[in-house]
Amino acid sequence: MAPQLSWYLALSAVLFTIGVVGVMIKRNVISMFMCIELMLNAVNLTFVAFSSFFRDVTGQLFVFIVMTVAAAEAAVGLGIIIAIFRSRESLDVDDASTLKL
Amino acid sequence: MLALLFILFAGMAIGCAISMVAQRNPLYSAISLIGVFISLACLYVTLAAPFIAAVQVIVYAGAIMVLVVFVIMLLNVEEEEHRPLRLRSLVPIAVVLAAIFFAETAFIIFFVHNAPNTPAGNVSDVGLTSSIGAGLFTSYLLPFEVTSILLLMAVVGAMTLARRGGLIGANVGLVPGQASYARETLNPLAYPDLSEVAARTSREVEETLDVAQAPHQHNEE
Repeated sequence: MAPQLSWYLALSAVLFTIGVVGVMIKRNVISMFMCIELMLNAVNLTFVAFSSFFRDVTGQLFVFIVMTVAAAEAAVGLGIIIAIFRSRESLDVDDASTLKL
Repeated sequence: MLALLFILFAGMAIGCAISMVAQRNPLYSAISLIGVFISLACLYVTLAAPFIAAVQVIVYAGAIMVLVVFVIMLLNVEEEEHRPLRLRSLVPIAVVLAAIFFAETAFIIFFVHNAPNTPAGNVSDVGLTSSIGAGLFTSYLLPFEVTSILLLMAVVGAMTLARRGGLIGANVGLVPGQASYARETLNPLAYPDLSEVAARTSREVEETLDVAQAPHQHNEE
Protein backbone atom coordinates (compact mmCIF):
# COMPACT_ATOMS: atom_id res chain seq x y z
CA MET A 1 0.00 0.00 0.00
CA ALA A 2 1.52 3.25 -1.13
CA PRO A 3 1.33 6.30 1.11
CA GLN A 4 -1.64 8.53 0.44
CA LEU A 5 -1.64 12.30 0.25
CA SER A 6 -3.57 12.49 3.49
CA TRP A 7 -0.74 10.74 5.33
CA TYR A 8 1.67 13.50 4.42
CA LEU A 9 -0.87 16.18 5.32
CA ALA A 10 -1.47 14.54 8.69
CA LEU A 11 2.27 14.36 9.37
CA SER A 12 2.60 18.01 8.38
CA ALA A 13 -0.24 18.98 10.70
CA VAL A 14 1.35 17.08 13.58
CA LEU A 15 4.73 18.73 13.02
CA PHE A 16 3.15 22.18 12.74
CA THR A 17 1.20 21.63 15.95
CA ILE A 18 4.35 20.54 17.78
CA GLY A 19 6.01 23.73 16.54
CA VAL A 20 3.13 25.89 17.76
CA VAL A 21 3.20 24.17 21.16
CA GLY A 22 6.96 24.75 21.33
CA VAL A 23 6.59 28.46 20.61
CA MET A 24 3.96 28.68 23.33
CA ILE A 25 5.74 26.78 26.09
CA LYS A 26 9.35 27.71 25.46
CA ARG A 27 10.89 30.67 27.28
CA ASN A 28 14.24 30.69 25.50
CA VAL A 29 14.43 32.86 22.38
CA ILE A 30 16.63 30.40 20.50
CA SER A 31 14.30 27.48 21.27
CA MET A 32 11.32 29.51 20.03
CA PHE A 33 13.29 30.33 16.91
CA MET A 34 13.93 26.64 16.25
CA CYS A 35 10.22 25.89 16.72
CA ILE A 36 9.45 28.48 14.04
CA GLU A 37 11.86 26.65 11.73
CA LEU A 38 9.97 23.44 12.48
CA MET A 39 6.69 25.08 11.46
CA LEU A 40 8.23 26.30 8.20
CA ASN A 41 9.37 22.76 7.50
CA ALA A 42 5.89 21.38 8.12
CA VAL A 43 4.54 23.80 5.52
CA ASN A 44 7.31 22.77 3.14
CA LEU A 45 6.26 19.15 3.50
CA THR A 46 2.72 20.10 2.50
CA PHE A 47 4.00 21.94 -0.56
CA VAL A 48 6.17 19.05 -1.70
CA ALA A 49 3.43 16.47 -1.09
CA PHE A 50 0.89 18.43 -3.13
CA SER A 51 3.46 19.10 -5.83
CA SER A 52 4.31 15.43 -6.09
CA PHE A 53 0.75 14.15 -6.05
CA PHE A 54 -0.58 16.72 -8.52
CA ARG A 55 2.57 16.50 -10.69
CA ASP A 56 3.00 20.26 -10.68
CA VAL A 57 6.40 21.86 -10.15
CA THR A 58 5.03 25.09 -8.64
CA GLY A 59 4.90 23.70 -5.12
CA GLN A 60 8.58 22.87 -5.15
CA LEU A 61 9.43 26.33 -6.43
CA PHE A 62 7.59 27.77 -3.47
CA VAL A 63 9.52 25.44 -1.18
CA PHE A 64 12.69 26.91 -2.64
CA ILE A 65 11.46 30.44 -1.90
CA VAL A 66 10.35 29.46 1.61
CA MET A 67 13.83 28.10 2.27
CA THR A 68 15.34 31.40 1.15
CA VAL A 69 13.02 33.29 3.46
CA ALA A 70 13.99 30.92 6.27
CA ALA A 71 17.67 31.59 5.66
CA ALA A 72 17.11 35.35 5.70
CA GLU A 73 15.02 34.97 8.84
CA ALA A 74 17.79 32.96 10.47
CA ALA A 75 20.39 35.62 9.72
CA VAL A 76 18.32 38.58 10.89
CA GLY A 77 16.73 36.72 13.80
CA LEU A 78 20.04 35.54 15.21
CA GLY A 79 21.40 39.07 14.82
CA ILE A 80 18.47 40.36 16.87
CA ILE A 81 19.02 37.61 19.45
CA ILE A 82 22.67 38.60 19.80
CA ALA A 83 21.71 42.27 20.17
CA ILE A 84 19.14 41.39 22.87
CA PHE A 85 21.66 39.25 24.69
CA ARG A 86 24.21 42.08 24.64
CA SER A 87 21.80 44.56 26.16
CA ARG A 88 20.04 42.28 28.69
CA GLU A 89 22.53 39.48 29.42
CA SER A 90 19.62 37.02 29.13
CA LEU A 91 17.75 35.09 26.46
CA ASP A 92 14.52 34.77 28.41
CA VAL A 93 11.56 36.27 26.58
CA ASP A 94 10.05 37.47 29.85
CA ASP A 95 13.10 39.66 30.36
CA ALA A 96 12.61 41.16 26.91
CA SER A 97 8.96 42.13 27.33
CA THR A 98 9.60 45.72 26.30
CA LEU A 99 11.00 46.75 22.98
CA LYS A 100 12.95 49.59 24.61
CA LEU A 101 16.61 48.79 24.96
CA MET B 1 7.69 -0.60 0.74
CA LEU B 2 7.03 3.13 0.38
CA ALA B 3 4.52 2.90 3.19
CA LEU B 4 7.13 1.31 5.44
CA LEU B 5 9.60 4.06 4.58
CA PHE B 6 6.94 6.69 5.23
CA ILE B 7 6.12 5.22 8.63
CA LEU B 8 9.81 4.98 9.52
CA PHE B 9 10.70 8.55 8.56
CA ALA B 10 7.45 10.05 9.84
CA GLY B 11 8.06 8.37 13.18
CA MET B 12 11.60 9.70 13.22
CA ALA B 13 10.38 13.20 12.40
CA ILE B 14 7.65 13.22 15.05
CA GLY B 15 9.94 11.69 17.67
CA CYS B 16 12.70 14.20 17.01
CA ALA B 17 10.18 17.07 17.03
CA ILE B 18 8.75 16.02 20.40
CA SER B 19 12.29 15.58 21.70
CA MET B 20 13.12 19.09 20.48
CA VAL B 21 10.23 20.63 22.38
CA ALA B 22 10.84 18.51 25.48
CA GLN B 23 14.56 19.22 25.82
CA ARG B 24 15.59 21.96 28.21
CA ASN B 25 19.07 22.44 26.84
CA PRO B 26 18.91 24.44 23.57
CA LEU B 27 21.85 22.53 22.14
CA TYR B 28 20.02 19.21 22.45
CA SER B 29 16.96 20.84 20.86
CA ALA B 30 19.12 21.94 17.94
CA ILE B 31 20.45 18.42 17.41
CA SER B 32 16.91 17.00 17.55
CA LEU B 33 15.84 19.61 15.00
CA ILE B 34 18.62 18.43 12.69
CA GLY B 35 17.09 14.94 13.03
CA VAL B 36 13.73 16.35 11.94
CA PHE B 37 15.33 17.99 8.91
CA ILE B 38 17.11 14.80 7.87
CA SER B 39 13.92 12.73 8.17
CA LEU B 40 12.01 15.31 6.14
CA ALA B 41 14.73 15.17 3.47
CA CYS B 42 14.26 11.38 3.29
CA LEU B 43 10.50 11.92 2.95
CA TYR B 44 11.15 14.33 0.07
CA VAL B 45 13.16 11.60 -1.64
CA THR B 46 10.24 9.19 -1.31
CA LEU B 47 8.04 11.94 -2.81
CA ALA B 48 10.32 12.01 -5.92
CA ALA B 49 11.73 15.46 -5.12
CA PRO B 50 15.50 14.91 -5.04
CA PHE B 51 16.45 18.56 -5.58
CA ILE B 52 14.38 19.76 -2.63
CA ALA B 53 15.80 16.94 -0.52
CA ALA B 54 19.37 17.99 -1.32
CA VAL B 55 18.61 21.66 -0.68
CA GLN B 56 16.93 20.68 2.60
CA VAL B 57 20.08 18.95 3.81
CA ILE B 58 22.44 21.64 2.55
CA VAL B 59 20.54 24.77 3.55
CA TYR B 60 18.57 23.69 6.62
CA ALA B 61 20.60 20.93 8.23
CA GLY B 62 23.82 22.52 7.04
CA ALA B 63 23.78 26.30 6.95
CA ILE B 64 20.91 27.38 9.21
CA MET B 65 21.52 24.87 11.96
CA VAL B 66 25.26 25.56 11.97
CA LEU B 67 24.37 29.22 12.45
CA VAL B 68 21.99 28.37 15.31
CA VAL B 69 24.48 26.06 17.03
CA PHE B 70 27.17 28.70 16.59
CA VAL B 71 25.00 31.32 18.31
CA ILE B 72 24.14 28.87 21.12
CA MET B 73 27.83 28.21 21.71
CA LEU B 74 28.69 31.90 21.41
CA LEU B 75 26.12 33.07 23.93
CA ASN B 76 26.72 30.12 26.29
CA VAL B 77 23.02 29.53 26.83
CA GLU B 78 22.16 27.89 30.11
CA GLU B 79 19.38 25.37 30.59
CA GLU B 80 15.89 26.61 31.29
CA GLU B 81 14.81 26.26 34.87
CA HIS B 82 11.43 24.98 35.97
CA ARG B 83 8.91 27.68 36.65
CA PRO B 84 5.40 27.55 38.08
CA LEU B 85 2.68 27.38 35.51
CA ARG B 86 0.68 30.56 35.15
CA LEU B 87 -3.02 30.53 34.26
CA ARG B 88 -3.54 27.02 35.59
CA SER B 89 -7.31 27.49 35.49
CA LEU B 90 -7.22 27.49 31.68
CA VAL B 91 -5.94 23.91 31.45
CA PRO B 92 -9.39 22.22 31.23
CA ILE B 93 -10.46 24.65 28.52
CA ALA B 94 -7.30 23.84 26.60
CA VAL B 95 -8.00 20.11 26.89
CA VAL B 96 -11.54 20.58 25.54
CA LEU B 97 -10.33 22.72 22.63
CA ALA B 98 -7.62 20.19 21.78
CA ALA B 99 -10.19 17.37 21.79
CA ILE B 100 -12.38 19.35 19.38
CA PHE B 101 -9.38 20.00 17.17
CA PHE B 102 -8.42 16.32 17.07
CA ALA B 103 -12.02 15.33 16.29
CA GLU B 104 -12.08 17.73 13.35
CA THR B 105 -8.77 16.43 12.07
CA ALA B 106 -9.91 12.81 12.35
CA PHE B 107 -13.13 13.67 10.52
CA ILE B 108 -11.20 15.27 7.67
CA ILE B 109 -8.74 12.40 7.40
CA PHE B 110 -11.29 9.58 7.49
CA PHE B 111 -14.28 11.01 5.69
CA VAL B 112 -13.00 13.34 3.01
CA HIS B 113 -11.76 11.51 -0.07
CA ASN B 114 -11.34 14.16 -2.72
CA ALA B 115 -7.58 13.93 -2.86
CA PRO B 116 -5.92 12.23 -5.82
CA ASN B 117 -4.54 8.90 -4.79
CA THR B 118 -1.89 8.53 -7.43
CA PRO B 119 1.39 8.02 -5.59
CA ALA B 120 4.53 9.76 -6.69
CA GLY B 121 5.94 7.58 -9.43
CA ASN B 122 9.40 7.37 -10.84
CA VAL B 123 8.26 8.44 -14.29
CA SER B 124 7.50 11.94 -13.04
CA ASP B 125 10.09 14.58 -13.90
CA VAL B 126 8.49 17.16 -11.62
CA GLY B 127 11.11 17.09 -8.90
CA LEU B 128 14.17 17.12 -11.11
CA THR B 129 16.58 20.01 -10.99
CA SER B 130 16.08 20.85 -14.66
CA SER B 131 12.31 21.29 -14.36
CA ILE B 132 12.69 23.34 -11.18
CA GLY B 133 15.27 25.55 -12.86
CA ALA B 134 13.10 25.96 -15.94
CA GLY B 135 10.14 27.00 -13.81
CA LEU B 136 12.25 29.30 -11.68
CA PHE B 137 13.73 31.23 -14.59
CA THR B 138 10.67 31.47 -16.84
CA SER B 139 7.28 31.87 -15.22
CA TYR B 140 8.56 32.61 -11.71
CA LEU B 141 11.41 34.96 -12.54
CA LEU B 142 9.98 37.90 -10.59
CA PRO B 143 9.68 36.00 -7.26
CA PHE B 144 13.22 34.75 -7.81
CA GLU B 145 14.55 38.30 -8.21
CA VAL B 146 12.54 39.50 -5.21
CA THR B 147 14.16 36.66 -3.27
CA SER B 148 17.60 37.93 -4.20
CA ILE B 149 16.70 41.41 -2.96
CA LEU B 150 15.40 39.84 0.25
CA LEU B 151 18.72 38.07 0.76
CA LEU B 152 20.61 41.31 0.19
CA MET B 153 18.43 43.07 2.77
CA ALA B 154 18.99 40.19 5.19
CA VAL B 155 22.76 40.47 4.81
CA VAL B 156 22.72 44.22 5.47
CA GLY B 157 20.26 43.84 8.35
CA ALA B 158 22.22 41.08 10.04
CA MET B 159 25.45 43.08 9.79
CA THR B 160 23.77 46.18 11.20
CA LEU B 161 22.05 44.34 14.05
CA ALA B 162 24.90 42.14 15.18
CA ARG B 163 27.60 44.80 15.03
CA ARG B 164 29.15 45.58 18.37
CA GLY B 165 27.76 48.84 19.66
CA GLY B 166 24.38 48.44 18.04
CA LEU B 167 22.91 50.84 15.53
CA ILE B 168 25.22 53.67 16.53
CA GLY B 169 28.97 53.44 16.64
CA ALA B 170 30.82 52.28 19.72
CA ASN B 171 32.74 55.57 20.01
CA VAL B 172 29.60 57.72 20.21
CA GLY B 173 28.30 58.84 23.58
CA LEU B 174 24.55 59.32 23.78
CA VAL B 175 22.98 61.84 26.15
CA PRO B 176 19.19 61.55 26.57
CA GLY B 177 17.44 64.52 25.03
CA GLN B 178 20.64 65.78 23.48
CA ALA B 179 22.48 65.23 20.28
CA SER B 180 25.11 62.53 20.06
CA TYR B 181 28.74 63.40 20.65
CA ALA B 182 31.96 61.60 20.03
CA ARG B 183 33.08 60.23 23.37
CA GLU B 184 36.47 61.93 23.18
CA THR B 185 34.99 65.41 22.88
CA LEU B 186 32.22 64.88 25.44
CA ASN B 187 32.73 66.46 28.84
CA PRO B 188 31.47 63.68 31.13
CA LEU B 189 31.18 65.89 34.22
CA ALA B 190 28.47 68.01 32.63
CA TYR B 191 26.00 65.11 32.64
CA PRO B 192 25.22 63.25 35.88
CA ASP B 193 23.99 60.19 34.00
CA LEU B 194 27.43 59.63 32.69
CA SER B 195 29.12 59.53 36.09
CA GLU B 196 30.17 55.95 35.42
CA VAL B 197 31.82 57.03 32.21
CA ALA B 198 33.47 59.88 34.07
CA ALA B 199 34.74 57.56 36.80
CA ARG B 200 36.10 55.13 34.27
CA THR B 201 37.72 57.90 32.27
CA SER B 202 39.40 59.41 35.31
CA ARG B 203 40.57 55.97 36.44
CA GLU B 204 42.07 55.36 33.04
CA VAL B 205 43.77 58.74 33.19
CA GLU B 206 45.23 57.91 36.61
CA GLU B 207 46.49 54.56 35.40
CA THR B 208 48.06 56.21 32.42
CA LEU B 209 49.72 58.76 34.67
CA ASP B 210 50.97 56.02 37.01
CA VAL B 211 52.47 54.12 34.13
CA ALA B 212 54.06 57.29 32.81
CA GLN B 213 55.41 58.35 36.21
CA ALA B 214 56.70 54.94 37.24
CA PRO B 215 60.12 55.13 35.51
CA HIS B 216 60.45 58.70 36.68
CA GLN B 217 59.97 57.71 40.34
CA HIS B 218 62.40 54.86 39.87
CA ASN B 219 65.00 57.29 38.68
CA GLU B 220 64.52 59.50 41.73
CA GLU B 221 65.19 56.59 44.06
